[in-house]
Amino acid sequence: MRAVTGLFANWRWGLVWFTQILFYGLPWLTWNNRQAVLLHLTERKFYIFGWVFWPQDVFFLAILLIISAYGLFFFTAIAGRLWCGYACPQTVYTEIFMWIEQKIEGDRNKRIKLDKAPMSPRKFGIKLAKYSAWAAISIWTGFTFVSYFSPVSELMESVKTLSFGPWELFWILFYGGFTYLFAGVMREQVCKYMCPYARFQSVMFDPDTLVITYDDARGEPRGPRKKGADPKTLDKGDCVDCGICVQVCPTGIDIRQGMQYECIGCAACIDACDQVMDKMEYPRGLIRYSTENAIKKGWSNKDIIAHVFRPRTLIYGSVLILISLAFVWALATRDPLRVDVIRDRASLAREIEGGLIENVYQLQVMNMTEKPRTFVFSATGLDGIRIGGEHRMEVDAAGTQAVTLQVQVPYDSGKPGANEVFFEVYPEDEPSLKLREKTTFLFPR
Amino acid sequence: MQKLIQVLWPSFLVAGVVEAIFFTVINPRELYFFGAPVHLDLLATYSIGFFAFWLICAASSLTTVYFQRTASEINHLESNQ
Repeated sequence: MRAVTGLFANWRWGLVWFTQILFYGLPWLTWNNRQAVLLHLTERKFYIFGWVFWPQDVFFLAILLIISAYGLFFFTAIAGRLWCGYACPQTVYTEIFMWIEQKIEGDRNKRIKLDKAPMSPRKFGIKLAKYSAWAAISIWTGFTFVSYFSPVSELMESVKTLSFGPWELFWILFYGGFTYLFAGVMREQVCKYMCPYARFQSVMFDPDTLVITYDDARGEPRGPRKKGADPKTLDKGDCVDCGICVQVCPTGIDIRQGMQYECIGCAACIDACDQVMDKMEYPRGLIRYSTENAIKKGWSNKDIIAHVFRPRTLIYGSVLILISLAFVWALATRDPLRVDVIRDRASLAREIEGGLIENVYQLQVMNMTEKPRTFVFSATGLDGIRIGGEHRMEVDAAGTQAVTLQVQVPYDSGKPGANEVFFEVYPEDEPSLKLREKTTFLFPR
Repeated sequence: MQKLIQVLWPSFLVAGVVEAIFFTVINPRELYFFGAPVHLDLLATYSIGFFAFWLICAASSLTTVYFQRTASEINHLESNQ
């Protein structure tokens, strides 16, 4: 594949830098003396800056996935496969791997020549350098991936002493190995045969979607000619049939045959064609971002922009905004405290001294904040109800603590069978956060 | 090669989703294996769980690929090989 430079190539490189600084950098960021972003699998807690998520918060993850899906629908409806062309890890790592290939082996012609040449010490050296560089990046990528799930400080200790846990080492090599395989060997095959999104993208497309388009009317009939020749006098279109748009295409299609599902929207052919048009002193944009309708009806950019607002994008857009607002609202009003009450199954109800009935409960308190807190609890719902023993408990920062409670009620203040009672729990330093948890108190029949 | 990808790749994707849902809902510390609590460290449990899911999903994909052959392909096995 031939390398490209130009406006869209710059955009892609900008996004390669942005996404990779984010990906490689985030695990090293600290927040409140811990890793800022850590999906701590063994603690079963996700730390994301100021938030701590528990398995019970899977709701947020679900909303986040829905937001991502609608974001993808929305952007695809407006401008096609933006994600694929600029931000997908498959594109990003392929771009990085190809850059290395180009630096070590040279441009397309040199690479073809090298591949055809018989094995020699020089060829072996060049190939070894390339594969080693790829492997180094892959391992580093695998390490970074695992450091999102296992604290990076502990991983670094393992690096220093070369004593990785077997599974950590396994996943580093697994992820690194697939990075190498996908970005170094399979490349666009992944997009063509393995990507689920490529298969259903057409559902989100309509005639007003911006896609990379070859301007048939302007380009045809194509054919070679001298530099600066006026196509009108030659009875030809603007396409000089140089074939560079095909050479730069990562999936190897010819965009002049119209929209094809293999097109990942990388715009490499736009950059390449614009350079040729400049050389020929023809106007740019023989291949450009345009819509099916715009090409057919000869719309200007203003018409295209006006058609961005259409029922499909407005529906996708408003759903996206609504769900995002709901997400922010749910996150902002999330209880910093969660309580679970479990009845002790071994002992149902028993009579104790002083004419009291006793039930035993497990009270589990989760402190969702990042400071240790003391929680106070009480029981209500029946006359004379009281908790025997402890009424308060300290819970670590982002910790869970359980306590066994003996709850006692005078024998005459409830009916035989189940009675509704409540536990009230609040942090000592902020009583307004009081939570009421319903449970049942059993009286012997 | 294509058959291999058809079996391993969709099952990998589905196994990833199942893994996430399963271990969100179920704490591996509460798992029992033939009546005995699972004593492996959590990372091992997650990893083995993932491969178990992958294997199950791959079995399903393999069955799909197996049943995908048309009648004429089965009737003329030799000529297709």
